[in-house]
Amino acid sequence: MAKSMKQLRMLFGAQIKETFRERQVWFWQMLFPVMLLVIFMVIFGGGGGDFSAKVAIVGERSGAAAETFVSAAEASGVLEVETGLAPEEAEKRLADNRIDAVIVLPESGESGEFRLLVNAERQSGSTAQAIGSIAGQLTAAANQAVTGAAPAFTLKTEYVSSGSRELEVADFLLSGMIALSIAQSGLFGMIGLVEMRRKGLLKRLRMTPVNMRLFGVANMGAKFVLSIVQLVLLAAIGILVFGANIDFAPATFLLTFAVGTLAFSALGYLFASLSKTLESYMGIANIASFVMMFLSGIFIDITVLPGWLKPVSKVLPLTYFADGVRGGMVYGSGMDAELWLNVGVLAAWGAASFILATLLFRRRSASV
Amino acid sequence: MQVLDVSQVSKSFGAVQAVREVSFAVDKGEVFTIIGPNGAGKTTTLQMIEGLQKPDSGAITVLGMTWDRDADRIKMRIGVQPQTSALFDLLTVEENLALFASFYDRHRPVAEIMELINLTDHRRKRVKTLSGGQKQRLAIGLGLINDPDIIFLDEPTTGLDPQARRNIWDIVRRLREIGKTTVLTTHYMEEAERLSDRVCIIDQGRIVAIDSPKALIGRLTREREIHLKLGADAEAAAAEDAVREEPNAARIERDGAYVRIRSRKPEATLHHLLGFASDGGWSIEQIAIRELSLEDVFIAFTGKEWRD
Repeated sequence: MAKSMKQLRMLFGAQIKETFRERQVWFWQMLFPVMLLVIFMVIFGGGGGDFSAKVAIVGERSGAAAETFVSAAEASGVLEVETGLAPEEAEKRLADNRIDAVIVLPESGESGEFRLLVNAERQSGSTAQAIGSIAGQLTAAANQAVTGAAPAFTLKTEYVSSGSRELEVADFLLSGMIALSIAQSGLFGMIGLVEMRRKGLLKRLRMTPVNMRLFGVANMGAKFVLSIVQLVLLAAIGILVFGANIDFAPATFLLTFAVGTLAFSALGYLFASLSKTLESYMGIANIASFVMMFLSGIFIDITVLPGWLKPVSKVLPLTYFADGVRGGMVYGSGMDAELWLNVGVLAAWGAASFILATLLFRRRSASV
Repeated sequence: MQVLDVSQVSKSFGAVQAVREVSFAVDKGEVFTIIGPNGAGKTTTLQMIEGLQKPDSGAITVLGMTWDRDADRIKMRIGVQPQTSALFDLLTVEENLALFASFYDRHRPVAEIMELINLTDHRRKRVKTLSGGQKQRLAIGLGLINDPDIIFLDEPTTGLDPQARRNIWDIVRRLREIGKTTVLTTHYMEEAERLSDRVCIIDQGRIVAIDSPKALIGRLTREREIHLKLGADAEAAAAEDAVREEPNAARIERDGAYVRIRSRKPEATLHHLLGFASDGGWSIEQIAIRELSLEDVFIAFTGKEWRD
């Protein structure tokens, strides 16, 4: 027992050294995610300031609903509202990207639709999404004003606080980047294993009485340390530099973090078992990473994906991991059904990958 | 005392029969060398003994144990240096040794092994920065860390420069002095001849001969090769004619002023030749009798040229 502990400690130490002495790890697993975070924050996060967008409101201001809508928009603090433009002029400005959106008030004062126009080329951008979300809430406010359910004044303040909470692009990007970089260090993290097999080091270890299970445990331990370093690094930059808000739910976060790290490492292990060379491993890991980066709601919300892509997004593990990380970091979610769904899907992916990889490895090493 | 017994072992990969009915036994304290050209089946044989390959047929006993039943106990008591030096590249010499030491129930002190493989000065260097010879020595050190009863060295000097090769030879000699059993493969004949107590020559998966290098050479005919260089081509031509009358000379070749003679009794042939030389007043610039080596043994037993 004491011997196993010593062996585990030595193996863990060796794995930690092999990880943190590798320059590639410093670049790809730490510097690169930070660079990506900074770039996306600067592009979409408004350079650290609060979210704001230029919106033109056109059409007849008839009735309380329209009045409420316009004044709520002006008071929101996130929209720069321009009124009194002719509809054609507003559309032209929108097409030229001088404004972010045009809202057309309903013709009738009592009912009808608020129309939201955004630039077609930018419809998937986070600004357009944010405006859509704000407009939705403004519409709700306007509806309430018509039915007289609540005074408009209360609604405005309510909107501003709850709206800014949801709209912080920085939070969305930060939590997404953390999920992505942990996922990537899992997917790419088995390079070491592929290298060890290529160099014959795995075979060499099999010629010693070392317990290969302890070797696996030590390997995972080192992966967790790396994930924690990434997490702390990205969170610190996101919070200190870009003013991201954190609503930390420790249990939700830790559970998602632990299961997610294991699941993505298992996927990396599966890729390693499928590839003989470093090149093929990198190829598979790159494809997986790219697909997930864009289809799992890291930079763009999955609700804007075309309908036929949504089912793909629904099976990808990163979708659930990102959701779980967001729940635990940004939304302060409790141990609810959504958490168990996230953890369940991740665990299923992890278990399936691990079993398949182990079988493949066994078959291959038996034939060598 | 026998520490290794290989009996009627065969192994094929698909249609290629790599090893055919190989049998030999190794005694304690011996340096036993398997030689043969590339692809002769040396490494496959060694890997079967090390438990990495399963023989198709035949039996292998290591220290009285078999791989089916006592794999972990065998691993505790053997040391292995594989052909490709498989090391943790980002760990230092010392860290590699300490890590491998933790795998075994008992092990030698790391400092002692570093001394033996002459890497004490480089103990804090990462493997990545070591030279080929240093890596190879470390790989041997890892194989020695558990104080094994048998150590297997698979082509330990391949690709090394002469100095690095000599360093490895020193290690093998020291192992022999402290009574370790060493099984090694090489395709350098000179190395096998210098280091081994016994040599096993393998060609095309089959054992061609097993014995001490001296005994193997002794089994060859007593023929020796005489090399001469004369002062002029005409003298060499005259010498060629003179030697033809000598009954012990078997084969004579001439190339300009150079003459090569194979003789069953070199001293008689030379005596005959030197008589003609002093009578004719020829000048002899070089004279040598080439000793037979394992290379000649290989040629004699396989009928093939030896290529390094």
